[in-house]
Amino acid sequence: MPAPEETQQIEEEIRDIMKRCSDESVRAAIDYSQSKDADLVPAIVIGIIERFVEPSLRGQVKELGKQARLTEDLGIDSLLMVEIVMTVEAVLDIAIENDELKGLRSLGDIEVFVAAKLKGEPSPHVNKVFGPEQIAATMPHQPPFLFLHEVRVNGSSAEGTFTIPENDIFLEAHFPGDPIFPASLMIEALGQLAVFSILRSDRPEFADGSPERVLFVSSDGVRCHRICRPGETLNLKVEFSRARLPIAQFAGSITCGGSRVAVVEELSLGVYGAEGEDA
Amino acid sequence: MRNVCVTGLGFATCLGLERQSVATSLRELKHGIRPYNEGYRGDAPIRVAAPVPGFEINGEDAEDWIYPEGIRFRIDQLRCLSPNVLYAVHAFEKALIDAGLTHDEIRDPATGMFTASAGSAKMNHFHLEQMKKVGPSRAKPMGMISSIAGTLSFNLVARYGIQGASTGFVSACASSAHAIGAAYDAVALGRQDRVIVVGAEDFTPETVLPFATMRVLSLSADPDKASRPFDKGRDGFVATGGSVVMVIEAEDVARKRGAEIKAQIAGWGQSTDGHHVAIPHPEGAGLIRAMKQALEMSQVRPSEVNYINAHATSTIMGDVVECKAIKSVFGCRDDLAVSSTKALTGHALSLAGVMEAGFVCLGMAEGFTPGAAHIDDPDDEAAGLYLPSESLAEAPRVAVSNSSGFGGANVSIVFKPAGATG
Repeated sequence: MPAPEETQQIEEEIRDIMKRCSDESVRAAIDYSQSKDADLVPAIVIGIIERFVEPSLRGQVKELGKQARLTEDLGIDSLLMVEIVMTVEAVLDIAIENDELKGLRSLGDIEVFVAAKLKGEPSPHVNKVFGPEQIAATMPHQPPFLFLHEVRVNGSSAEGTFTIPENDIFLEAHFPGDPIFPASLMIEALGQLAVFSILRSDRPEFADGSPERVLFVSSDGVRCHRICRPGETLNLKVEFSRARLPIAQFAGSITCGGSRVAVVEELSLGVYGAEGEDA
Repeated sequence: MRNVCVTGLGFATCLGLERQSVATSLRELKHGIRPYNEGYRGDAPIRVAAPVPGFEINGEDAEDWIYPEGIRFRIDQLRCLSPNVLYAVHAFEKALIDAGLTHDEIRDPATGMFTASAGSAKMNHFHLEQMKKVGPSRAKPMGMISSIAGTLSFNLVARYGIQGASTGFVSACASSAHAIGAAYDAVALGRQDRVIVVGAEDFTPETVLPFATMRVLSLSADPDKASRPFDKGRDGFVATGGSVVMVIEAEDVARKRGAEIKAQIAGWGQSTDGHHVAIPHPEGAGLIRAMKQALEMSQVRPSEVNYINAHATSTIMGDVVECKAIKSVFGCRDDLAVSSTKALTGHALSLAGVMEAGFVCLGMAEGFTPGAAHIDDPDDEAAGLYLPSESLAEAPRVAVSNSSGFGGANVSIVFKPAGATG
C-alpha cells in the first residue's frame, strides 16, 4: 500500500489530467489507481472520451453505447483522438503505439483494446490489412485457387475483397460465352477468408495451437441472390461465432456493388494442430 | 484597376468591443490604459497597459478563458486556440455584421484573408516547456498549431471556410499595414473580390516584457499620461493587444450588394530603411519614400492630405524621426492634422496598422478626425505640426495612415471618404 501522502498526490494528478471529465469517471480512475480493478476501466475510458465530445453530441455516447462510432457519431477527429489516447495513457499508465490506433473505430473497440492492453494481451480489435503477397504467404491455397485479394482482420470478424478476373480459367467453362462466377467458388472464397482469419488470429484458442491445417467441414443455410461476372468485386465478410475445437464456426456473407450476393448462415471448419487431424 | 473600399470593421480593442464605443472613445479622446501589474516581475516596473475589456486570459487552457458572449468554440477549436485568435474571432464576427455579410457569403474562392500576428509566445513557451518535461508523445498534439505565427490564419480559415488567398505578414509593427496593402493589390488587380484583413496580438507578459528588455516601454504609473506621442515628456510605449478586422472589397462588388462603404483605399506605399535591425533611420528616409510612393500611387498631392494618423508610439526616437519625415513630405501646415491614436490605445504591435487604419475609416464613416491626446509640451521636432488637442468634428478629406516596424519596414496607406472622386 502506498503511503497516504503518495495516494493523495496520485489523486491530485488524476484530477488534473482528467480535468472536465465526469465525477464518476474521475472517481473510477482514483479507485483504479489503488485497486487496479479492470472492471473500472470502461467507466474511465468513456469519461475521458465524453470530455472531448462536443456537448451537443454527448447524448450519443449513452444512446449508442459501444456501437458509437468515434468519427461519424461523436465527431472526434484524428488529433482529438491523440489527446484522448494521451489522457488514457496517463491515467492508466500504459503506452499506446500509433499503429494500434488505426483500427479503433467505435467506443466498443476502445474498451476491448484498452482491456486487452492492461492484461498484456495482444489487442483483438485492431484492424489489420493484408495485401495479396501476405495473403499468399499465409494461405495453404495458391493461385489460381485463391479467391482473396485484400483482407482486413478486425477482432472476431474478417472482411475481404476479390475482383473476378477477366480471363479466369474456371469461367471459360462456366459457362462458354456466358462467364458467371460459380456459387461453389463463392462459398470457397468465404471459407478461405475464414481460414485466413484463423491463421492470422490473435485469439488464444487458435494462436496457441498454431494450426497446421484447416479444412472445410460443412455449410448450412446457403443462399445465392444474384450472379457475378468478370470485373466485379466481391466484398466478403465472415464473423466468428464459436469454437469447439477442432470445429470453428463462422457466419458469412458476400455483397457486390451494394447488393446482396450470397449468405452462409453457418460455415464450419476443422482446425487441426501439429499432432494430426484428430487432435 | 478596380476601386477598392472598406466595407466592414470589427474591433476587440482596449477602446471597446463595438464600433460605436470605439468611435465614441476616439471622438472624446478617452483612452483604454489601466493600472496593470499582472504577470510582471518586480525588476521590470511596468505599471500600466491597455487590456481589452471583456476578455480574461487565465493560464494556458483555453477552456478557462473568459470572453464576451456571442462567440463560441467547438472542443476541437478550443484545442488550437491562442489569445490572439480569441480576440480575432470576436472582431471577425463584428466585422461581418458591419459589412452586412453572412458566413455563407464569404465561403467562396473570391474571398481571401490576410493576417498579421506575432503568434502566441505564451502558448509556444508553455507547450515547448511541456514537451521538454513529458516528451513529445505526451505533449499536446495541437501545441504547435495554437502557437506559431500562422495560428491566426489556420484557425480563421478553418472556422470561416475561407477558400480564396490566405497568407500572413511578418514585418513586426508594420505587419497588418502590409496586409492591407497586399489586400488592396489583390482586389485592385482583380485577383480577389474581397480580402478580409485580420490583425491580432496576444497581449500577455510573454509578448510585452521582451520590450521592457529593450527599454522601450513607458515606466509611468499614470494611465492618463503614460502614452503621449510627440510630447517632450514621453518615456516609451504602453502595451496593448486584441484584434481589428477590416473587410476590403472591390467597389463594384460592394455597390452591387448594397454595402455601406466606410472609406476608399486610394493607394499605398512601402519601403525599407536598410539601416538597422531595430532603430529607424535618423531622418526617416524610408518612411519618406513610403509616404511619397503612397501619394503617387493614389494620385494625391501632399497638399490634399488633411489628416495623418502617425505611427508615433511614444518612444523617444521613433516619434522624432516621424516628425522629420512628415515635415519633409508635407511641410508644416495648419490645415494638416497630425495625431497618433496610440495616445489612447498604446502600441498594438503587429495589430497597430489595421487598428489605426480602422480608426481612420471609422472617422470617415462617422464624421470626425481623431485628435492628438496627452500632449502638454510638444517635442521640439513636432514644432510646426498641427496636433489638435481635441478631435475634429469633420471627417478627413484625404488621410494617410503610417506604420513602421523593426528592420525599418515602412507602410503608408491613403484613405478617402466614400463617394470622394479622383
